Amino acid sequence: MFEIGRLCVKLAGRDAGKKCVVVDTVDEFTVLIDGQTRRRNCNVKHLEPLKEVLKIKKNVSHADIVKEFKKLKLEIRDTKPKKASPRPKKSKQKKDALEETNVKKSVVKKTTEIQVESKQTKKPKAAKPVTKTKKEQKE
Amino acid sequence: MPAGNKKSNTFRKVFVKTPGGKTVVHHRTRKPKQHKCADCGAEIIGVPRLRPYEMHNLAKTKKRPQRAYGGKLCGACLKKKIVLESRS
Repeated sequence: MFEIGRLCVKLAGRDAGKKCVVVDTVDEFTVLIDGQTRRRNCNVKHLEPLKEVLKIKKNVSHADIVKEFKKLKLEIRDTKPKKASPRPKKSKQKKDALEETNVKKSVVKKTTEIQVESKQTKKPKAAKPVTKTKKEQKE
Repeated sequence: MPAGNKKSNTFRKVFVKTPGGKTVVHHRTRKPKQHKCADCGAEIIGVPRLRPYEMHNLAKTKKRPQRAYGGKLCGACLKKKIVLESRS
């Protein structure tokens, strides 16, 4: 039934409804397929064979299958997987934010120097620039 | 008696014990039922049971299986449909 070159339709998975060709037999139950689907091993139960049998050698490359499918007027979309984009660097934003707050810090520091240096006054004023940096990062 | 808008069947009663020792009724909204296949009526896997405003916030791939007729037909009914179309 599922000899090399047999046209099939895939029944399950995200490739369901697409046409493919048997390229190689692996087991009694698994088969290598290629075509409009991805090139992968597939269970025989998830395939529905069609009438046509193509003349193909074993382990044919993807480019040759595209030519064979063009004769049958079946289109294959060749899409390349997207490359993962690099993560955005947050260090530069922090430095810019700190530069802006340092200007403000200098103004704040003058007031603390005049006042009595106690731990209670320092902590709330130290907390202010931290919250500003977080807001600027979110922007 | 509960307030007017809490009398409907969309709320379920939950009995909560307060730290003061009283038991009090809380009205909480129910989860919707699981989606069903359009052909056979079987429950579809892959569609979460959430209220509409929660579904709006989800990404597209998290609301339905990534398959033809995903979220509408179950896997068995899809197979029957594809086989029928290929044999005609």
